[in-house]
Amino acid sequence: MNAVHPLLRRQFLERSLLAASGIGIGSAIAPKWLQGATWNAGDKSGRVLVVIQLSGGNDGLNTVIPIDDPEYKKRRPKLAIAKADAISIPQDLALHPSLKGVAGLLEAGRFMLVQGVGYPSPNRSHFESMDIWHSCTTKDKRGRTGWLGRWLDQQQAADKNQENQDSLAMHLGAEVQPFALTALDVQVPSLSSIEQFRFKVDTDPQTANSVAKMESVTGKSVNNDLLDFVASTTESAVTASDRIEKALKQSAAAGEFPDSQLGQKLQVIARLIKAGLQTSVYYVTLDGFDTHAQQPAAHAALLNQWSEALTAFVKYLESSGDLERTLVMTFSEFGRRVAENASDGTDHGAAAPMFFAGAKIDQPIVGKHPSLTDLDDGDLKHHTDFRSVYASVLEQWLKTPAEPTLGEEFASLKLFG
Amino acid sequence: MKTVAAESIDPKWAWEPWKPSEDSPWNRSAVYHLYRRVGFGISASAAQKAVDTGLEETLHQLFSTATNDEFETTTAAITKSVMAGGNLRQLSVGWLHRMLNTPTPLVEKLTLFWHGHFATGADKVNDIYAMQQQNETLRKHALGSFPSMVHEISKDPAMLIYLDSANNRKAHPNENYARELMELFCMGEGNYSEKDVQELARCFTGWEVRRLQFRFNRFQHDTGTKTLLGTADLESGEEAIDVVLKHSATPKFIIKKLYKFFIADEPNPSDELLEPLVTQFREDQLQIAPVVRRMLSSNLMLSDHCRNRKIRSPIEWMLGWMKSLDVSGNMQTLSEGLTQMGQSLYFPPNVKGWDGGRAWINSSTLVARANALHRLVNDGNTRYDKKSLGEFAKTAQIDKPDRWLNYLLETNLSASVPETQRDALLESVKSYTAEQALKEITCRVATWPQTHLA
Repeated sequence: MNAVHPLLRRQFLERSLLAASGIGIGSAIAPKWLQGATWNAGDKSGRVLVVIQLSGGNDGLNTVIPIDDPEYKKRRPKLAIAKADAISIPQDLALHPSLKGVAGLLEAGRFMLVQGVGYPSPNRSHFESMDIWHSCTTKDKRGRTGWLGRWLDQQQAADKNQENQDSLAMHLGAEVQPFALTALDVQVPSLSSIEQFRFKVDTDPQTANSVAKMESVTGKSVNNDLLDFVASTTESAVTASDRIEKALKQSAAAGEFPDSQLGQKLQVIARLIKAGLQTSVYYVTLDGFDTHAQQPAAHAALLNQWSEALTAFVKYLESSGDLERTLVMTFSEFGRRVAENASDGTDHGAAAPMFFAGAKIDQPIVGKHPSLTDLDDGDLKHHTDFRSVYASVLEQWLKTPAEPTLGEEFASLKLFG
Repeated sequence: MKTVAAESIDPKWAWEPWKPSEDSPWNRSAVYHLYRRVGFGISASAAQKAVDTGLEETLHQLFSTATNDEFETTTAAITKSVMAGGNLRQLSVGWLHRMLNTPTPLVEKLTLFWHGHFATGADKVNDIYAMQQQNETLRKHALGSFPSMVHEISKDPAMLIYLDSANNRKAHPNENYARELMELFCMGEGNYSEKDVQELARCFTGWEVRRLQFRFNRFQHDTGTKTLLGTADLESGEEAIDVVLKHSATPKFIIKKLYKFFIADEPNPSDELLEPLVTQFREDQLQIAPVVRRMLSSNLMLSDHCRNRKIRSPIEWMLGWMKSLDVSGNMQTLSEGLTQMGQSLYFPPNVKGWDGGRAWINSSTLVARANALHRLVNDGNTRYDKKSLGEFAKTAQIDKPDRWLNYLLETNLSASVPETQRDALLESVKSYTAEQALKEITCRVATWPQTHLA
């Protein structure tokens, strides 16, 4: 079941047992390259991908609106956004009124939307559809890894000298770690908040001594995958806790971020990027998009939170000079049904737009808005497979071949310069 | 994912009642294992009593449904005062008190299971009375009839509010509850079509919540006939629920989930292994108690296949520590700690509940676990069987750090710990005072990977 090489697994276990036996404030038990109080930033050339997951199924149709299509008002007598309120963008489209920040980014060439994204035989279960987006496969073919997890495994395997001192990826949030990040060999830390991410057990001067002793424990494989997993996670917790504390000291708090949950998470990520943490992928979620009832106020607040946080993030990195190497991708597990329901809401749908923010995007609007009359069981039809979008991110942004990560070949679109 | 190969575990042997033998005796280790899995742990003194009274009496106590007046009176008083305060975040205090002190461990463990199964989030329901009502419904049916529970939950105000089904009009049926009833509560994804979701949603039209009461609004009910899962001529929501309950996927789905909750996170069990339980559950008309009791007193349950195969949930982990240290602790602090560990009672992450298994463990939740125990041990108000930690150890005739370590390992850890790991810890506390050493050892063991398994 566990594809990790037995030797590697043993090392993991030993190292984390060491760590755990004296889990101090990191430095006392951190691996050698971590020791010392000074910040070692490493170079700032590596590209960064930030993923924002809108959980619950974002209503794409009220996010990017075919505002002049008469079908839109007809299908949504109560929920349609009035043309006077919406923000006009090219191609006879309009953005939800909450997206002022995003509209500004789009005008400045810092934002791109990809329309009509989905996959064949759409699944309307939140969990199954999210798993499809995370794994790139349907349930019957699903392995134990997510798409980013497979990419992380490849990066780790390529880094033979283990030169990277930081976690390759990081998840910020109190929710369960997204399956997309599940790898075989790489442990991705999850941080619920920076304050809570500090061990309180006292540092212990004897630890170095016990570490030396523990090194004689070699060879005792316990042959329990669950224990190996907990042990390697313990190790990554200790390491990440130490590095993040040091990194955040390098880049002061940034007041211009909104106080919202997403705003504060993106603030932390922006500071870690600026400090030069060698982490390639950051992952955050914004939940609440399952708007079956009383949609207008809830959806407006969520889009506003996303737009304000994203705008602050782009501005911060623009001024720190890190936007050139940072790309933000936003997606949701599905869109919502074209017709509204009777509770002032919308039920689960299919195709929806994806969004990118950064300095190296190719064009503001990619693809046509799906037809509001040619539907699949009441839902918008996709014309672009999400895996083709992933392929573009992998090839054009992360500069790695897409096929090993996606499991099969998907033609990429020209998205990033 | 790998499955337990049918040839490696004989299903017939697996579910036969366990009988102690020379190789697999009835001893404290067996008692701790049973209490960790069936309940929320056990103190050392109670564990010895259980060994003395024997297997049969111990199972009888674990499976008991007979509560007592004194416990119910105290618990009701706590719950009442929390309800009066109206703070949803404090509602867990009464339930945690229940879990820690219950005379009916299996009932309480299953109530927690059903809370994760029929997951309903207090933040959206935003009514303390409705959440408490639902909790009592789940406890009432915890070991009872699954069909009765599903029928009652389908009209439960908290559930219907949570799934946006407080209004359901025939012109635009809301599909949310219909979908989750099949996907998450009974059958599992992949066993029904989108058309079934739409038809079931029509059956539920007119089901409403008004002033926190369920109400059937016949003017909003779609009276046309519907076809669900191949059964034609259905009319009412109740009839439709019965069709879902009678579907062959339902007992399979529930038994598998119970297996993963009680026996092993992974690997996934084979169909052959579960078959005897699925058959029994179906033949018992989905009565919960008989099949769960069979599972929990079986050969498999007491075998090595079941040891260290579960990652303890935050509640199991924290209450396990509290039981082994015999502390009652501050329930409010406990509840806050559990939130940081990722298991906030009444606030499941979404309608699927807690995933369990590996999902419990990540960098933040591990830090939160270590820090919660650190806070408990270093809280000046914490009493261990009404004593200081030093006096508690003395009463248990523990006079040296290594004996304290042994005590913790025996009472609270299922997995074995290498000698060198023990030695390193003991070496590092050599210069500590006696009480300091007890605390330090406790906090450090709480960071060991082995402590998270059961």
